[in-house]
Amino acid sequence: MNDILSGTLVRLSAVDPDEFSKAFAVWQRDSEFMRLMDSNAARLGSQKDSQKSLEKELEEQQLHQHGFTIRTLAEDKLIGDIGLYVVNWSGRDAFVGLGIGERDSWGKGYGTDAMNLILRYAFMEVNLRRVTLTVFEYNPRAIRSYEKAGFRHEGRLRKLLHRDGKRYDELFMGVLRDEWMELTQ
Amino acid sequence: MRDLFRGELVRLTAEEPELRAKQEARWARDTEFHRLADSDAAQLYSDKKIKEWIEKNFEDGFKPDRYPFSIRTLDDDKLIGFLGLWLNLIHSEVWLGIGIGEREYWGKGYGTDAVKLCLRYAFMELGAQRVSLGVHEYNPRAFRAYEKAGFRLEGRTRKDIMREGTRTDSLWMGILREEWMQLQNGGQP
Repeated sequence: MNDILSGTLVRLSAVDPDEFSKAFAVWQRDSEFMRLMDSNAARLGSQKDSQKSLEKELEEQQLHQHGFTIRTLAEDKLIGDIGLYVVNWSGRDAFVGLGIGERDSWGKGYGTDAMNLILRYAFMEVNLRRVTLTVFEYNPRAIRSYEKAGFRHEGRLRKLLHRDGKRYDELFMGVLRDEWMELTQ
Repeated sequence: MRDLFRGELVRLTAEEPELRAKQEARWARDTEFHRLADSDAAQLYSDKKIKEWIEKNFEDGFKPDRYPFSIRTLDDDKLIGFLGLWLNLIHSEVWLGIGIGEREYWGKGYGTDAVKLCLRYAFMELGAQRVSLGVHEYNPRAFRAYEKAGFRLEGRTRKDIMREGTRTDSLWMGILREEWMQLQNGGQP
């Protein structure tokens, strides 16, 4: 069997609260990153607080949460994080969240590679039936990446987001295990 | 839609730590019940201690892999036993544990009714693909009840239990989703 946590450009690695909170403290200074990742107002939090909340999450070892950090294969550099959050076990559906914090790593296929890995993990390891995500209309790079990974457009919350005086939609995308199996065969 | 928690003789209800602990402390004094339900040495705990354990299990609220119930009669709402399901979330397998503590309700179909209810719950609500259980060889009444509900004998651990100077086997039983569906359909696939 292949190592299911290594892709062609990146690998998924364990979350180290100390390391990750330090990287995130730097990434959050970039308000564009924060807007692409989150629909709330971009804001700055302390490294200590985010380290504490990560440590708490790990301590609880939540059954429905599968979180990883993303590292490049070439330099083993921490560039982002990705996680599955199982919302419904009887339906076997999870939300996926992905953020590439290092600007240098945008638009180079790292995110798509990480998404391919987490989909394989979701369908082949956690045995889920579908994976869902939301993405903002003003993030076409992410939308294209998710389409490449196999996600289909499923709906939109119209004019939910308000950025720089304009309103944008939040898009829902999803991929079923059967569709993903077909794509990867 | 039918009420998943209501059978023909019993219904499944939420656990109430105080009442459950009181009953369980009483049931435990019956060493025959203890031996049928458990493989440990019979031991007695106060209802206060048992209540603490039950409450501790609930401290973090609902857990997606644990489904505890009390068993009550439909007739007079009497608490006669308990039932727990442990769901393996990754593989959609459920482990079943059940005990009827009240002696007067043994051998009258109450346990079978509760097992049938929890099979429906496991397959139709939790999305289980199989349900598993273990039973002592010296408990033929339980074994028959599980068979009636659709379980099949899948294997045994030979001579692992020592009771009264005699070694006996543990039996492992299971039922697959398709088998259960077929039973609901009068044996037709």
